[in-house]
Amino acid sequence: MIFHSLTFVCFFAVTVALYWRLPHRWQNVLLLVASYTFYGWIHPWFLALIFATTFVDYWSAVGIERWPAHRRRFLWFSIVSNVGLLGFFKYFGFFADNVVASAALFGWELSRPMVDIFLPVGISFYTFQSMSYTIDVYRGHTHARHGFLNMMVFVSFFPHLVAGPIMRATNLLPQVERERRFSASSARDATLLIAWGFFKKLVIADNVGVIANKVFALAEPDFYMLWAGVFAFCIQIYADFSAYADIARGTAKWLGFDLVHNFDHPYLATGPTDFWKRWNISLTTWFRDYVFFPLSFALSRRVDEGRRFGLRADLRIYAAATLLTFLLSGLWHGASWNYVIWGGYHGLLLVIARASASAWRPRRRVRKYLRPFQWAGMFALTNVGWLIFREPELSMIWRDLWLSPFQSTQLQHQAGVYLFLLAFLYSIPLWVQSLWVRFVPSDLAAAVDRDEPDVRFGRVLGQGALAGVMFAAILVLRSYTSLDFIYFQF
Amino acid sequence: MTQDPGSIQQTVPVVAAGASTLDRQAAASRRRALVRPVASLLLLAALAAVLPLGLRAVNAFTATGKQPESYLPSAFAPGPRRPFVGSAVEGLRNVNPAYLVIGDSMAGTRVDHRYLAKLTGRLVVPIYEPASASAYWYLAYKNWVVASGIRPRAVIFYFRDWMLTDPMFRLNPQHLDRVALQREPELDRIVAQHAQGTFFRVHAWLRDAYQYDRVRAWLLPLLERAPVALAASRPKARRELLDRMNNEIFNLEGLREMAAADIGEADLERLDFDRNLPRSVLPELLKLARENSTRLAFIRVQRRPEGNRPPRQSPELQEYTRKLKQYLEANGAYFHDEWGDPELPLSIYRDGDHIRRDKEKHTTELLVRRNPGLFR
Repeated sequence: MIFHSLTFVCFFAVTVALYWRLPHRWQNVLLLVASYTFYGWIHPWFLALIFATTFVDYWSAVGIERWPAHRRRFLWFSIVSNVGLLGFFKYFGFFADNVVASAALFGWELSRPMVDIFLPVGISFYTFQSMSYTIDVYRGHTHARHGFLNMMVFVSFFPHLVAGPIMRATNLLPQVERERRFSASSARDATLLIAWGFFKKLVIADNVGVIANKVFALAEPDFYMLWAGVFAFCIQIYADFSAYADIARGTAKWLGFDLVHNFDHPYLATGPTDFWKRWNISLTTWFRDYVFFPLSFALSRRVDEGRRFGLRADLRIYAAATLLTFLLSGLWHGASWNYVIWGGYHGLLLVIARASASAWRPRRRVRKYLRPFQWAGMFALTNVGWLIFREPELSMIWRDLWLSPFQSTQLQHQAGVYLFLLAFLYSIPLWVQSLWVRFVPSDLAAAVDRDEPDVRFGRVLGQGALAGVMFAAILVLRSYTSLDFIYFQF
Repeated sequence: MTQDPGSIQQTVPVVAAGASTLDRQAAASRRRALVRPVASLLLLAALAAVLPLGLRAVNAFTATGKQPESYLPSAFAPGPRRPFVGSAVEGLRNVNPAYLVIGDSMAGTRVDHRYLAKLTGRLVVPIYEPASASAYWYLAYKNWVVASGIRPRAVIFYFRDWMLTDPMFRLNPQHLDRVALQREPELDRIVAQHAQGTFFRVHAWLRDAYQYDRVRAWLLPLLERAPVALAASRPKARRELLDRMNNEIFNLEGLREMAAADIGEADLERLDFDRNLPRSVLPELLKLARENSTRLAFIRVQRRPEGNRPPRQSPELQEYTRKLKQYLEANGAYFHDEWGDPELPLSIYRDGDHIRRDKEKHTTELLVRRNPGLFR
């Protein structure tokens, strides 16, 4: 079941109508039934997987607390099960292809096993979420739960099940466990958030997605066409992914839950570190807490003090841990080398940014004037990253990076400028919202995306007008080419 | 210190009375606290629903508000349309071909009409429309071929899987405008049979209430043309930019080869032949052919092979094809299934289900060799 379908609208309306008439425990039962229906709608067979993940992590956490002497074994059992499940369903084909290709380099002919493995939607998200629970129990950040129903709701909670944000047990489980009360103010904010999400998906992402798909379908795009396509994809992926996150947060709010913000206007970032504080925040913090920190800690015990390759020990540790974390993060996105390279590219940007920051730190007055250049530079570097992300053929990435604007014909130049402007035209609402948040005082800027309930008449009127305009825009401008949410494939 | 029991007795009703007042006040305050947010939520919903009605007002001030009724009112709202290509009727009358080949890019990449004419020694006219489907083929046959009054030896249709019994597939005004008359009651009746579910009803209701399709009809072209002025400086280049871009940059030769086909596997609903046949253009197509004494031929193309094998077919698809063949042959049409032909290996496929340009002659020859009865 996808958010932008009539089926989901009906499903959600019925769920909400029943939900607020039930006592707390039955609310959770309903949530479980709704979540399993939502997920099983895609394929009933997927339910076995999500149940298996929940079952393993529930008992692993119980084991960690009940048998402290074996806590490490229970933790590894959980990690291996989750990573194994993910590895088999997501990376088996990738692994097999690479083994066959590597063997061919040595003259051995291996035949690829003819197994078609269907990637269960959302598996990357819920395995990470579920795994974080056992790690948190192991670290003592939370305690093992003894209510299996609550655990099942925590893993399968339908608003964010297939494309995040990835929630932590310390955040979501207490919300599952405590009583929830209907708040009309919260529902009003949620409605606006959902409308904004649908607007971003149907009007912005799907329209610019058509441009990006057309350009990336070209066998040999020229400089102008290529970068117009990359810009369109840059807008598409942000509008698409953040739309899902907004709809997820909005639907969760209707049910009395607060999901974390997953985006904070990433295209206003002025550097790589700033970008990763703003993009897919829940995944970035997941990798930071469960991969980067343990890796840094492990490396710090092995790395010698003093300089090597002209770098201090702390920078060497940071570089190694960052690169490895981002390579893994890239691989998490998909079973293809371009994602791994994309991860490595961003890891490298972070390392360079850290090294240059420790070498040269401009004065505050200078920094103020540098900011527009930093923003433009980071936006350009982000687009190079999106080229790598979008282009699955490595030879094409290499070719594309060496394209010169002087090789284009006049028609290609004009067509490229045209497509860029068209994509920009559709993206204007995104820029307006981001710039508003950046430059307008926070209480006004929060009109679209607020957490605090407020019933001032003027504000409600403004929100209603905004919702009406968005609804009208969706009716008139939505793309007839409906594309799936990009992050569904991950 | 002792307290007078009488004073206690006097105090209790006073306290009780005070408590009930407090309860009432608290309840009223709770109600007020609930009423305002609920009212604000309702106000938001009402504004969201009412404001888009302004689109009707926009239409009242623009020419699009006075558009004539669509030729398929069950599917499309009134809006500007591209003209019917009437010159095709005259063209067909003048050429008077012996064979016509109708289809989408499946036919376009499989049949070289000049080579087919050479092989058969008779005139062949292709009616290829990329990304078209049965509704377009039906209208092209009715409004061009039948209307021209010619009597070809055969009209050959190329199709994939379930396409002949799904008139809603690729029901796109961009294609249909060229072959549709002012009214198309038969096709509209067929489409109406599909437009009965909740989805279509909600869609139709929204469309009627807000009239957004009329706004879309003038606003989208305006948006799409707006950047042209900035992209091209000379007026001539501005006028031609979009056409040249589509024809010279995004043409088939300029696109990458992709293994994935442009249509996926059919769901079970689409493969229910008995249910879908009366709701398709096929009976109308065969009726027209009978009335005009023309033989129709249907070639089912083989989808992209998997390795060295023909692609797998689900039992439902096999059953669907069996029934389709039976039905067509019972109604005097010719049916040929390419599926499993050893001379259609993976190596001759380009992207998806398309055949490589240099193998077009091979597949044309194959058509003649495999169907001698059709070209006798």
